[in-house]
Amino acid sequence: MTLPTDRAALAATLPPDTDSPSAAVIPAAARSPGAIVLGRFMRHGGCLIGGGLLGFIVLAALAAPLVAPHDPYAQDVSRRLIPPLWQAKGTWDHILGTDKLGRDYLSRLLYGAQISLLIGVSAALISGAIGTFLGVCAGYFGGRVDAAVSYVVTTRLALPVVLVALAMASLVGGSLKVVVLVLGFLLWDRFAVVARAATQQIRNQDFISAARASGLTNLRIVLQEILPNIANALIVVATLEMAHAILLEAALSFLGLGVQPPLPSWGLMIAEGKQYMFFQPWVITIPGVALLVLVLAINLLGDGLRDVTAPEGRN
Amino acid sequence: MPPRTLVAALLASLLAGPALAGKANDTLVYASDSEPENVSPYHNSAREGVILARNCWDTLVYRNTKTGAYEPMLATSWKWVDDTTLDLVIREGVTFHNGDALGPEDVAFTFNYVLTPEARTVTRQNVDWMKSTEVTGPHSVRIHLKQPFPAALEYLAGPTPIFPAAYFKKVGLDGFAKAPVGSGPYKIVSVDSGRGVKMERFAQYWAGSPLGTPKIGKLEFRVIPDGESRMAELMTGGVDWIWRVPSDQADQLRAAPNITILNSETMRVGFLQFDTLGRAKENSPLKDVRVRQAISYAIDRKAMVDNLVRGSSRVMNALCFIDQFGCVDQGVMRYPYDPAKAKALLKDAGYPNGFEIDLGAYRERDYAEAVIGYLGAVGIKARLNYLRYAAFRDTLRSGKVSIGYQTWGSFSVNDVSAFAGVYFRGGEEDLTKDPEVIADLQAGDSSTDPAKRKEAYGKALGRIASQAYALPMFSYSTNYAFTSDLTFTAQPDEVPRFYAASWK
Amino acid sequence: MLAFTLRRILVAFAVAFTVAVASFLLLHLSGDLATSIAGPDASGPQIEQIRRDYGLDQPLLTQFLAWGWKALHLDFGNSFYFRERVIDLLAARLPITLYLGVIALAVALLVAIPLGVLAAVRRDTWIDRLALSVSVLGQAMPSFWFGLTLILVFSVNLRWLPVSGNATWKHFVLPAVALGYYAMPAVMRLTRNGMLEVLSSDFVRTARAKGLPPRKILIRHALRNAVIPVIALAAVQFGFMLGGSIVIEAVFSLQGLGQLAWESIARNDFPVVQAIVLVLAMIYIALTLAADLLNAFLDPRLRQ
Repeated sequence: MTLPTDRAALAATLPPDTDSPSAAVIPAAARSPGAIVLGRFMRHGGCLIGGGLLGFIVLAALAAPLVAPHDPYAQDVSRRLIPPLWQAKGTWDHILGTDKLGRDYLSRLLYGAQISLLIGVSAALISGAIGTFLGVCAGYFGGRVDAAVSYVVTTRLALPVVLVALAMASLVGGSLKVVVLVLGFLLWDRFAVVARAATQQIRNQDFISAARASGLTNLRIVLQEILPNIANALIVVATLEMAHAILLEAALSFLGLGVQPPLPSWGLMIAEGKQYMFFQPWVITIPGVALLVLVLAINLLGDGLRDVTAPEGRN
Repeated sequence: MPPRTLVAALLASLLAGPALAGKANDTLVYASDSEPENVSPYHNSAREGVILARNCWDTLVYRNTKTGAYEPMLATSWKWVDDTTLDLVIREGVTFHNGDALGPEDVAFTFNYVLTPEARTVTRQNVDWMKSTEVTGPHSVRIHLKQPFPAALEYLAGPTPIFPAAYFKKVGLDGFAKAPVGSGPYKIVSVDSGRGVKMERFAQYWAGSPLGTPKIGKLEFRVIPDGESRMAELMTGGVDWIWRVPSDQADQLRAAPNITILNSETMRVGFLQFDTLGRAKENSPLKDVRVRQAISYAIDRKAMVDNLVRGSSRVMNALCFIDQFGCVDQGVMRYPYDPAKAKALLKDAGYPNGFEIDLGAYRERDYAEAVIGYLGAVGIKARLNYLRYAAFRDTLRSGKVSIGYQTWGSFSVNDVSAFAGVYFRGGEEDLTKDPEVIADLQAGDSSTDPAKRKEAYGKALGRIASQAYALPMFSYSTNYAFTSDLTFTAQPDEVPRFYAASWK
Repeated sequence: MLAFTLRRILVAFAVAFTVAVASFLLLHLSGDLATSIAGPDASGPQIEQIRRDYGLDQPLLTQFLAWGWKALHLDFGNSFYFRERVIDLLAARLPITLYLGVIALAVALLVAIPLGVLAAVRRDTWIDRLALSVSVLGQAMPSFWFGLTLILVFSVNLRWLPVSGNATWKHFVLPAVALGYYAMPAVMRLTRNGMLEVLSSDFVRTARAKGLPPRKILIRHALRNAVIPVIALAAVQFGFMLGGSIVIEAVFSLQGLGQLAWESIARNDFPVVQAIVLVLAMIYIALTLAADLLNAFLDPRLRQ
């Protein structure tokens, strides 16, 4: 049984206008034609804004080696804390100023996008794989498997995520790899619940019984019939977990157990800029706004995708 | 005292106000980032513990900071019977904070107790030179040394406070840590683990003490681990005194009318300690002297001093504070900033593409990150392990990191034996254990002839530099920031003498 | 109801047991405990003595049972860093975190429920959109950055509220806002959706037809029903806040359980860390158990 509090726990961190995950509906008919979806996409404000912003950030991240004016690791302690262009002592040489070790902030911001996106995508992929596997098993086989998976999910929800992530990172030492693995192994709960609910919904439909009758093995049924149909819902969850992972990494790096210096993680940049927040606030404002925009874009996109692929679920 | 129920907590907080700071309440609230793991001065090595020790406990001898001479304190006079025996006459009329009279039994008990293994003394090097202490009369003690130790008086004037024997025996170390008793100008009123320590002026402090009578009635030490919180608290009047303000912020705070900034050089020297024995890493590159020298050439210490540390800090070349007795700087090998040479040395040693390594640090993260930046520029990818001091000390001792960004204030002892000896005389902190260096340091530590001592130390320091066992960085200059209502002066030994401070 | 209750309690025990195992493993993974307890100055024989004294040479299962038994009596041993009992440290700091959590939850509920009701009643108007935007923004901000910004604006620039510490209720205002802000969107949405559902239901339509005043309908009938799922959500949010308060406590120097956990992690003081994980998880399990039972009692449909 899925506990009401588990559903509440997952609802607690969803972006606006998304219902509880068990209402992530699949339309009664098997598939929506791509063209209809694309049409809806182009007319949905949130999708366009979110997708546009995210696309821009991805582009900036990919183009960083070409576009960044300086090496993000090149330090020059005689040129520390130069303010951004629009302030009194700003210079065109460092449009967004320099940080406490004289490294160009714009370059660090661009390379930092790489790190945030890398972590977001990797963690979402790992947790997606784990959660989908668990959820599909639970939804498809039902019975004891379902009970076992529900119990695992409830256990996972009982653990305080930030604390466990910190503890695990401190045991092994913080680093990019460790952060991705730790987040990947902690953030699979929503995938599991959504995959389970979605699988349950289509498990008893005709085309599944037909597939079983025609002798396909369970594995092939899952791969060929179930996964493609729940993919929409899972993609929505993936975007949310990506945003979640990015924010968590920022928090871990802020507390010192995430990505290690001199890597330009945005969370780490905020941590490093904290001591200047009174007199040089732009040092924390710039990466803070960058994080805000990225996570906002991902959330808008995710929410929009949900609307666009299954509008019946919307209120 | 933590509230027991939520309702009680709510009521208490609605009705009570915070302990008010400042002149109006005659309470000097000072904040720092760490709390000592144990308030007993022999059981922590945090600077914050030293502050408590100097303000709340007395020592046998007093070192006059202006003349450098040793003057009577709890001991009214002393005499060297021979090279390893010291007789002292203990002052009469001194009482501890709990009313007990101070006598030679307390001196003997304290020094004998801290030498026992059960005492688990953390600051062993401050007392290890003593063999035993005995009461020789109603007002006298005799201290036996293990071997001649010229810095004995320096140590008796610093990190060797006297504990009350009867009280300590009654409550034990744990009880003492919760309710400590000393004989100093301030007495500790409460110890709040995690929050701080409250002190008030000891009314029965003995007259004629070189420390004088404190003019400020109450002291409160607040633990605020976060630097920005400390600064914000100072700016908004929540605390009256903070220190170790980074130079950037100090410059900005200078403009505030109600805040005074004081910059002072300190005896603290930062240095990189190398895991020469190669315990931390399989085939550690640091076993090769060329690699260690490459690291030394790769770091622009002068630029760090001029831009990051600023104030009155100076680059150090020998592993000691330049003004300490025995700190020989001439003839010691220099490592000017030369990244090209560093890369060449690395190539020679077989690391043309650099290598990966772990670097541990526990304070001034910016300096450690700057070092990492410089190392990165010559191909060495250093990973920062930023830990609290106790954990940092442990990882270094147990060989888990290859480079440690150490700082050492020598417990404010003005003698090289308090510095180089700690790290290179074969003890727990020695990551190199070079027999030549150990022998030279021992010779210097045990001779009573100043010329011989300087010669021995010169050899040891020279070898440490030429073999690059450690890279001295620079002396630290610290910024104090406090309310303009306060008159406060600082000494290079980084011990704020609150008993000498007063309101304007 | 009885069957549901029993099943639910069984699940709670199973989960609690698993968390206890995880907690135990966390402690023992952290390194050689005997060396950590003995301290860096101890000799070999001293370490061995400690190993025997603390039963660390026993098989893992025996150790787990011993540990579990002691944990049930709230005996978590001594902290490696302070020479105090872990339970004493926890008891000193837990009230602060609970206090923070309660205030944060109160702030969240007091703002989010009315906002949700308003958004439902004035659906698709600017109020609705404003409420939605506020929650979208809230979810995208890193909490520590939000906290720092609050300090900058309200403590340093406006001087309305203190910067750090936990001496008075004023010290909890900014942290509660920073922590509670993240709970608001979910509560608001849930309230809004619940209200919308109920407002369009038959019995409300009947009440309107009967001519009952709209406000009475709103409060007496609609809100009461819409609030039921919010109970579960509130319990869960409170549990999350307890665990997630680390960042906020670090930013505001609140010296609560979260900050103790973070500092203990930094100091490798694992007995404390493991005890905190266990205690927080148990509180969460107990809260969700209570919430589920309450929900099932109020809404029989949930008892399936």
